[in-house]
Amino acid sequence: MKRSIIVSVVAVGLALSACNANSGSDEAKSPASGTSKGGDLTILTSSQTVTLDPAKSQNLAITTLSLFNRRLTSWQIEPGQPAEAVPDLATDTGTPSADGKTWTYTLKSGLKFSDGTPITAKDVKYGLERSFAPELSGGLGYHKGLLEGGDQYQGPYTDGELDSIETPDDTTIVFHLNKSYGDWPWIVSMPAFSPIPKAADAKPQEYGQNPVSSGPYQVESYKEGSSLVAGRNPEWDQASDTVRTAGPDTITMQLGQDDTVAAQRLIADSGDDQNAFQASFVPPAQLSQIQSDAGAKSRLVTSEAGALAYLALNTQSKSLADVKVRQAIQYAVDKKAVQIAVGGTIGGEPATTLITPGIAGREEYDLYPAGESGDVEKAKALLTEAGNPALDLTLLVESDPVEVSKAQAIQQGLQRAGIKVTIKSLEYEAWVAEATGDKGEYDLAISSWQPDFPSANGNIQPLFASSEIGGGKYNLARYSEPEVDELIDQASASTDPAEAQKLWAQADRRILEDSPVVPLLFKKNSFLHGSNVQNFFVTPFPAYPNYLKVSLGQ
Amino acid sequence: MRTARFLAGRLAGMVVVLVVISLVTYALFLLLPSDPAQMSCGRPCTPENLAIASEFMGFDQPWWRQYLEFVAGIFQGRSFGSGPAAVHCSAPCFGYSFQLNQPVTQLIWARIPVTFSIAVGAAVLWLVLGVALGVLAAVRQGTLVDRSAMAFAVAGVSAPVYLLGLLGILLFGFTLDMVPVSGYVPFSESPLDWLWHLVLPWCVLALFTSAVYARLTRGQMIEALEEDYVRTARAKGLSEPKVIGRHALRNVLIPVVTVFGSDVGQLLGGAIITERVFSMPGLGSLLLSAVGQGDLPLLLGVVLFAAFLVVLANFAVDVVYGLLDPRVAQTQR
Repeated sequence: MKRSIIVSVVAVGLALSACNANSGSDEAKSPASGTSKGGDLTILTSSQTVTLDPAKSQNLAITTLSLFNRRLTSWQIEPGQPAEAVPDLATDTGTPSADGKTWTYTLKSGLKFSDGTPITAKDVKYGLERSFAPELSGGLGYHKGLLEGGDQYQGPYTDGELDSIETPDDTTIVFHLNKSYGDWPWIVSMPAFSPIPKAADAKPQEYGQNPVSSGPYQVESYKEGSSLVAGRNPEWDQASDTVRTAGPDTITMQLGQDDTVAAQRLIADSGDDQNAFQASFVPPAQLSQIQSDAGAKSRLVTSEAGALAYLALNTQSKSLADVKVRQAIQYAVDKKAVQIAVGGTIGGEPATTLITPGIAGREEYDLYPAGESGDVEKAKALLTEAGNPALDLTLLVESDPVEVSKAQAIQQGLQRAGIKVTIKSLEYEAWVAEATGDKGEYDLAISSWQPDFPSANGNIQPLFASSEIGGGKYNLARYSEPEVDELIDQASASTDPAEAQKLWAQADRRILEDSPVVPLLFKKNSFLHGSNVQNFFVTPFPAYPNYLKVSLGQ
Repeated sequence: MRTARFLAGRLAGMVVVLVVISLVTYALFLLLPSDPAQMSCGRPCTPENLAIASEFMGFDQPWWRQYLEFVAGIFQGRSFGSGPAAVHCSAPCFGYSFQLNQPVTQLIWARIPVTFSIAVGAAVLWLVLGVALGVLAAVRQGTLVDRSAMAFAVAGVSAPVYLLGLLGILLFGFTLDMVPVSGYVPFSESPLDWLWHLVLPWCVLALFTSAVYARLTRGQMIEALEEDYVRTARAKGLSEPKVIGRHALRNVLIPVVTVFGSDVGQLLGGAIITERVFSMPGLGSLLLSAVGQGDLPLLLGVVLFAAFLVVLANFAVDVVYGLLDPRVAQTQR
């Protein structure tokens, strides 16, 4: 889980877009069941490298790694529907014990690796154990703190097996957790839950260069910094897989592409580029260009409002200790100006809640109704109630031009209510160090957030649990409220999705009553594809194209 | 003997410069606010995970020890972690990129052919074009030829290479469809495709840089043509091409070679913007990615390598000086 989709998908930049959300092309509406087979798909990415070692990967369940690796569960991502956990290698999304601490999975029958050997529960266990090795760190590791003994275990190379993962037979795998955790079905969709045959792991550091495939594709060639070519895995069986349609015969990732040039290639839409899409967001300049190019505009796909951009109010700062002052800021902020700073409605929609759209259980409400540009009088009234403190606040922001524009919009908004704001803009690393460090010497910070997995848990816990303050963690408001911690614990523990969703929605509202953050916008991302690319859509979550369904016209 | 001493002195100087650069770069590396262990810690990055990653990568050691281990790694190689999953980085180890999962030396090595292909072709083009234009402008001083050449030079110097690159791609790649818009094909795979993919980057870089050489050559040539030895050569009855080619140009080339040496050295360290615009996986694009991703070990390795090339190029310039002008070798003993 990290700041927004930015890190998850490597693409850096702001995505602005037009109104034709998810229209893409007419073909994009064709159902996945009608996917055409064949053709050579190209993915243009600014990334220099592709990490195909599941232990080291932070890939979303619907992007590159999932073309090669299956996990116990996966995400069903379809236009107009909230993200759903569905079985992948397993026959269901897991059976919890009564206390929610033990989860049992059964593998589907007939599953095979690309080398023809059967996929067994032991391969899943081994793949997961590898992810604990310090030598293979860097991936999504939510399971490490949840599995019993996981905090001490350092991988199969030095510590043998992890006892909390049991494999009573070749098709059954049982996980023993140290607490009840209702989102475990999402956790087992993460890269580390990909099966890896121990026999293929003689040189663990090199495993990712040519992994044994369980998904529909296998690596044919990989040149770091240049390209990755994937061809079909003959052992993969469509009948056992409901999330991958495996349309193209080959998929070539062209690495290290300049975003501007890549976007120009797709606008020109000539030759092989008709079979290509860009993995990074469309740069703002090309986005403007596309508006006046009907051909390109029809191939631009924009997500609905998704990742949350927010203003964190440091509750541990003396100036912001009074809840009335924090509530005054809710009214003083000019969200319309912030929206303009990101390019208008094409950049995002005003937000009033915390849980990201596209995640089940989200409730829409507005505790601080202030119109589109804020309610300065109401803000002033609240400040009067708080004793009219002289406010001179420091606003921490990344030095990215769009982020700075947002900061200026906030500065001007708060100025109207007599709150002085000094903007402190820092390079990304410095921003991270200061915002997530232990000291917390700031009053306000602008950030954005998209969870790593589609549960409200991923929205609420990392940003508002008191355990997430400082130490590189993202409770930037440094908010600590026992009642909220209790709600988070209850919701996390619940294995009944309906009950958990209700609790998360309750936490969302309870948190905003204390006003530790001002929800600014739900951001939109835009992507461009060639004219022969089909089934290309972007949902609110994860606001990123579903690689597993993309196909080519024949 | 004198030459050997001259070379030995220069080599010793090179080593000192490199040690200083490595220390300064390392100091900057440590002063930067980002923590390389944090970048490789995974998500969620708990304090325990961070401590494990930091220990594994060696960033839990005091700075001087980290530096010494880095230097020792260049000569002996290094290992991170233990057991079968340990990361090995064989000598000369310029660090290990935990984000790209490869030794920095290996990453640099893989990128060298790309950058060298860009640099060598562009350098030859700009040298020939720049010197020819400069000579022509000097010989035809004050004429339309001179003014046109200098107008070209001003335009070339003023145009940012990123803009030139994009305009080149738009015109020759998209509109005229004459050359590929991006990518690199190794010479070993297809010499023709290699050439075809490089033509535009070469021209863009050469256009930009030759302008500097044209101005430099022109100024030097105008000065040289007024020297006594040129008048003598003419008085001897030598033809004008011989006076310019054999006598004047040889002297003009000395400052040109100085600039050329350091320019090529810098370019070999990575044509950052050109590589990025043309999506070529060279050292410049590696450096850019290291900066973008906060990959400090990679950044350190690439910066040191680039510094090494600049120092080496300066060394080569000193040697070539001696060949062009024997007086130099004597005074530099």
